[in-house]
Amino acid sequence: MLKESLISEFQKIVGKENVLTSPEALKAYSYDGTTSWIKEPDVVIFPKSTSEVSQIMKLANAEKIPVTPRGGGTNVSGGSVPWHGGIVLAMTKFNQIVKIDKENLTATVEPGVVLQDLTLRLMKDGLFFPPDPQSFLGATMGGIISENAGGPACVKYGVTKQYILGIEVVLPTGEVVHLGGRTLKNVVGYDLLHIFISAEGTLGVITQAELKLNPIPPAKKTLCVVYDDVAIAGESVYHVLENGVIPDKIELIDNWVINRIEEMMPIGLPKDADACLLFEVDGIPEAVEKEAEKIAEITKKFGAKEVRVAKDADDANKYWMARRAGFAAVFGKAKTVFAEDVTVPRGNIPKLINRCKELAKKYNLEIVVLGHAGDGNLHPAILTDISNKDHYDRAVKAMDEIIEGAVEFGGVLSGEHGVGLEKQKFMKKVTEPAVINMMKNIKAIIDPNNIMNPGKIWE
Amino acid sequence: MKDLKELKKIEQFADQCMKCGFCSFFCPVYQEEKMEQSVARGKNYLVKQILAGNQEFTPEMADIIGKCLLCKRCAANCPAKTQIDRVVVAARAQMVKEKGLGAIKNFAFRKVMADRKAFGRYAKLMQAFQWMMPKTEGKIRHLPDFVKNLGRRNFPELAKTFLRDQVKPLYKPQDGQQPKMRVGFFTGCATDFVYPDFGLKFIDFLTRHGVEVVVPDTQNCCGAAIYFSGDFETGRMLADLNVKAFKDLNVDYIVTTCATCSSTLKDYQKYLPDNEEQKQRYEEFEKKIKDSMEFIIDILKIKPEDFKLKKEFEGKTVTWHDPCHLVRYQNIKDQPRAILKALKGIKYVEMPNADLCCGMGGSFSVYHYDLTKKIAGKKMDGIKATGADIVVTACPGCMINLIDNVLLNKMPQKVHHLLELVE
Ligand SMILES: Cc1cc2nc3c(=O)[nH]c(=O)nc-3n(C[C@H](O)[C@H](O)[C@H](O)COP(=O)(O)OP(=O)(O)OC[C@H]3O[C@@H](n4cnc5c(N)ncnc54)[C@H](O)[C@@H]3O)c2cc1C
Ligand code: SF4
Ligand code: SF4
Repeated sequence: MLKESLISEFQKIVGKENVLTSPEALKAYSYDGTTSWIKEPDVVIFPKSTSEVSQIMKLANAEKIPVTPRGGGTNVSGGSVPWHGGIVLAMTKFNQIVKIDKENLTATVEPGVVLQDLTLRLMKDGLFFPPDPQSFLGATMGGIISENAGGPACVKYGVTKQYILGIEVVLPTGEVVHLGGRTLKNVVGYDLLHIFISAEGTLGVITQAELKLNPIPPAKKTLCVVYDDVAIAGESVYHVLENGVIPDKIELIDNWVINRIEEMMPIGLPKDADACLLFEVDGIPEAVEKEAEKIAEITKKFGAKEVRVAKDADDANKYWMARRAGFAAVFGKAKTVFAEDVTVPRGNIPKLINRCKELAKKYNLEIVVLGHAGDGNLHPAILTDISNKDHYDRAVKAMDEIIEGAVEFGGVLSGEHGVGLEKQKFMKKVTEPAVINMMKNIKAIIDPNNIMNPGKIWE
Repeated sequence: MKDLKELKKIEQFADQCMKCGFCSFFCPVYQEEKMEQSVARGKNYLVKQILAGNQEFTPEMADIIGKCLLCKRCAANCPAKTQIDRVVVAARAQMVKEKGLGAIKNFAFRKVMADRKAFGRYAKLMQAFQWMMPKTEGKIRHLPDFVKNLGRRNFPELAKTFLRDQVKPLYKPQDGQQPKMRVGFFTGCATDFVYPDFGLKFIDFLTRHGVEVVVPDTQNCCGAAIYFSGDFETGRMLADLNVKAFKDLNVDYIVTTCATCSSTLKDYQKYLPDNEEQKQRYEEFEKKIKDSMEFIIDILKIKPEDFKLKKEFEGKTVTWHDPCHLVRYQNIKDQPRAILKALKGIKYVEMPNADLCCGMGGSFSVYHYDLTKKIAGKKMDGIKATGADIVVTACPGCMINLIDNVLLNKMPQKVHHLLELVE
């Protein structure tokens, strides 16, 4: 519980209606996209400006109250759960698109802007923000930057950090700093900007960002390539890339997911296929045609059973809707789901897939594979039930071994979801102590009282 | 542990939510408030807390589950197919069981709306005195919110003669045609009291097309506002009365010109059953219900190009508003568009966000009129963008709210039921 007097200070800063303390509101801000991490804050505050954030931080710092920034609350690692109570700083009302600069291909946004709202606005000017986390309907720019999010399009376009030119941050002390700038090139001292990108809200509150944009490519084409063996699908990915075609997306869905999608929204996916790869190529129309042909040719040569080319935009859309529904399919089918986020160098995708298959047999579990095959970021999902102890224990073991496998194959334990709370125990296992120490020391310099989203990443 | 019967029935739906937060993009209430308690995910989580015994029906909780339009935008776009509308309605029902209806709702639902004769009497009374209904805020400050909010808005005049007082029990097909089918006509309150003309018009339309129409006077209010507010007891009573009213009439279908009524009658089986027998009875009933839009296109199979435009609408530009109770509750969206696109003499323009809720949400708009106006404001932006002269829809509830907000925003558009446009 926070002191009454403090609450009224906060009310003075942001207005009464923007300070919530009712038990119901606190419950509603106790969770994120995970199932297992729940903790209520003492107060939820909705700032609408940098100055309000700064005043709140000054008070919090003086009173040593934990502050957890929260955007859409769509992260799946416990990142926005206020693990040590205190303040949830809800950024959803701080959500203006400040400026779109068509000449320089940049946009200036506040942290609460939801990616889909930005996309719709940019479309009017023929522009887009290339990173495409599949949670774009709920994820905010602040959360996207703090998790360095990336989606399918990262095969060609990369992830968030490649599209952030600069940010404005309120430090835990309340001081406002500007990192990076508005230019594409920038070598002025240490690259502190990139320490804040993927910091999961542990260093400061992002209050504005300067984004780099691209013009929308004039043409796109989607192919659905069918396989008898999911591991061969995995191999196809690098065969395509080594032959000089860089699709903007390469996504994998396995037999289990295909069948669940067909139950939910029948679109004629091949139910007997072991796996499908979905490719999208984009660019100028002539190039897109040629690249699509080339993908068909290469995948057939390396063992694909069938290549289906989407007839038109609607047809293409069906495939991508299906891909997006994949996650829901997984979550809807089990009480508890471990959705892993391991990422391996692309060449090792088949190895990782085979490891998942072995583990599924070994522990007698359902392990489903879907994910961003194009960048080696797979989401093996283990279906289990937390109330069935024996089953759950086996699932935990399998998950541990998947992560060990990923590391063995030269990968990392999280490609896009961050560490938060969910991945802490693995963080220790796979990160050199000196590296963790360096992170802790950096945090101590910026946040001497450890009030910014405490309890996350390494503790 | 408390008896949470109504909530237990929907526990499986509440468990479906995987907390992805996608619904936040679609929920009209969240889009205004930007607070987690407003969105489907938050409401669902809190209802689950009640089920787990960690949350009571506090006044704030009542407010949270009250602040839902039941527009189903969340459910329609939920990747996990979570049916939040059912979760919210069940929570309201559970709350009514535990706490009773508030005094106002108690009077309105049980004493007035649930009693056809009384509802008629009260409506008549309002009709007689509506000229003196207060329009300015100052004079009505002492009245409870319920009445205050009704008084402040632009409410269409009640009809001089209600439909129930003009309608005959039986209409034979015109011009001596052999009846090709026999249908029951469900009046519905808004059609009865505010828009009797298009009730009569639809009956005329049906009989011209060889349909025999019966209009039982034992029918009642469909119960939407009542059971969606959680008064399942009265809701079941009305459902049973309505089922009974049409039971022995030997009709092939039961039709209505109100999207809310048609969806409400269809959905008795979803929300209300308390036992197997009731469930079966409501399911049987559902099979016969047809909204006017689907009836004329899918059952009567009238070709869209065979409709004739009424003279007064010649040369107008029109746009279509999807009532929640048509587009998401009944998946009816192509039929009205087909008619509007085929009608010679008008220009059809699709409105951006055509399926956005108008903000009415039944009694939602009575308790949260300011939110209603904000949500309707977005709808108005869509209407303005079309440059249309006429907003066409097929739900008297939407019409009332659209008219109110068109006037509030000083816009030139007229609002009509699709049936009013055709001969
Ligand atoms: C179905 C589903 C699909 C997903 N798909 C993808 C995907 O394809 N790619 C991907 O990368 N991720 C994905 N995610 C994960 C998640 O959506 C992303 O991490 C997203 O970027 C989180 O944004 P948010 O606004 O919801 O942030 P939140 O969840 O609210 O917060 C995330 C972290 O950022 C911090 N934070 C938020 N705002 C600020 C701010 N203004 N200043 C400082 N710190 C802040 C929080 O403290 C927290 O640690 C998916 C999630 C779901 C549920
Ligand atoms: S209701 Fe559906 S869309 Fe909303 S959070 Fe739950 S699963 Fe996601
Ligand atoms: S039914 Fe409509 S108002 Fe209610 S939670 Fe869903 S989207 Fe929001």
